[in-house]
Amino acid sequence: MAGPGPNPRTVDDVLAWLSAGRISSGEALVLFQRLETRAAPPAPAGDGEADGERQRRLEAVMAELDALIGLAPVKELVRELAALVEIQRRRAAAGLSTEPMALHMVFTGNPGTGKTTVARLLARLFHGLGVLPREHLVECERADLVGENIGHTAQRTREQIRKALGGVLFVDEAYALARGGEKDFGKEAIDTLVKAMEDHKDEFIVILAGYRDEMEQFLSVNPGLRSRFPIHMDFPDYTPEELYQIALRLCQERQYRLSPAAGLRLKRFLAEEAQASPYAGNARLVRNLIERAVRRQAVRLARRRHVSRGDLMTLEASDVLEAAHQLGTRHRPDHRVAVLHPGKPWAAGAGVARG
Amino acid sequence: MKRCIVIGQPNVGKTMFVLQFALYLGLAEARIAFAEAGGRRWEKAYRVDHALADLTGAGPHHTRQLQSIRLDLPVGKGRRALELVDTSGLVDGIHPDAAIRRAMAQTLATVRDAHLILHVLDAAAAGRRGALAGIGEVDYQVAQFAQMRGGYLLLANKMDLPDAPRGLARIRQELAGHPIAPISALHRQGFHEVKAFVWRHL
Repeated sequence: MAGPGPNPRTVDDVLAWLSAGRISSGEALVLFQRLETRAAPPAPAGDGEADGERQRRLEAVMAELDALIGLAPVKELVRELAALVEIQRRRAAAGLSTEPMALHMVFTGNPGTGKTTVARLLARLFHGLGVLPREHLVECERADLVGENIGHTAQRTREQIRKALGGVLFVDEAYALARGGEKDFGKEAIDTLVKAMEDHKDEFIVILAGYRDEMEQFLSVNPGLRSRFPIHMDFPDYTPEELYQIALRLCQERQYRLSPAAGLRLKRFLAEEAQASPYAGNARLVRNLIERAVRRQAVRLARRRHVSRGDLMTLEASDVLEAAHQLGTRHRPDHRVAVLHPGKPWAAGAGVARG
Repeated sequence: MKRCIVIGQPNVGKTMFVLQFALYLGLAEARIAFAEAGGRRWEKAYRVDHALADLTGAGPHHTRQLQSIRLDLPVGKGRRALELVDTSGLVDGIHPDAAIRRAMAQTLATVRDAHLILHVLDAAAAGRRGALAGIGEVDYQVAQFAQMRGGYLLLANKMDLPDAPRGLARIRQELAGHPIAPISALHRQGFHEVKAFVWRHL
């Protein structure tokens, strides 16, 4: 039955022809099948040039995502989301039913594991996919949302939401909103946020981020939230090897390189940190380290009269060592305690963290 | 909510099936939602037995609009909502009456996004000697269309009539490969299998 005949573009064409008496209901069914099998995935609607531009941007975002070191499960999930959004769009274009998509998310993981970076990429990704009209991300935390007086909180929270509309609202350390218990204004901030998510459906995406355990606790005391944030991405700590790769990348971006000895020194430092501290799997640590090493190198070279291009680019083992020495105690959240117990710098801190 | 659409040629017993099936599932009263092809919608609360008297008749093209009943069914430990949609009949060829053509277009629009399709055939008509009636071109098309998707069951209706067993054999032969449930909507026979099918897809 597939031979020549009317060639409908959409289901509505077929139905209109059927109503007009041009085709029989049997023929209409045949055309339906043809639409579903063949004409169903047409090029997504839109003006060609803008579409091509969008596509290019989309590819750029995906490439950037791929270039991130580690984060395999996160990349996989982002890929799934992108595919899902795209297919839903094509389904809608083909007249098929589509699932309403709630793209609000919870990001869990330690600081410096890539949550903000991925959130920024997602904002651009969803903009590229046509889900969001803008690609900006508004980052806020408890202090930006919660006010001091009654009524103040709702106002502040709405202010942040208004800024985020069209893009992504990223609430860092979101669990802090539930910190003060029932009477705390954090609750009001949550309620305002949830209300806005309903009032401005599909207009912005909310990402709540924070430590794994604290977020788990936060979601369990606010049972309504879990269903409103159906997507959960967990950011594992970086392994020492991944951190090393990140360090190399950071150097490369700044047009520096590590001397072989500096590389070894860095690897050893990262391995030691991983042994010592639960917060070591942290890209911020590496960033700080490289920035410090860059400064140490500058100090070292500034004293010299003749400096080659190679010297200007190379971070030596001594630079890394000095930077590591500075950071070794400082990057820890409770370094003051560590300084008070110089004999076993980490033991006291570990007790606090686990207790 | 899952949507289960009942389609077939005119006068095969679609409305009869829908209402009797609702009764079989224990629904004594129903709010029936009507939707005309023109866009008018209204709702009416019916006792199902009264609805039977009102909405079914001996002639074809009694149903000119979509009539749907919402059922709230116990499934396992929970409950699931099912919308049972009765449609106006699909005819072969091009019907002269524009209103009926519009109603058919409305039916087909619904078919496309139904989760379940129950396709009713008149087994008695199919079994009548020398008759080409019973299984029409449109029935083959519906079967072929529905094949591409899950949740499709053929109902060979009017099994209480004498010609029906022969008709059933013919249907089995002509539409081989599709699941077929012989029923008598009038006497609520064979509904067990239909129910099992619907439950499987809820």
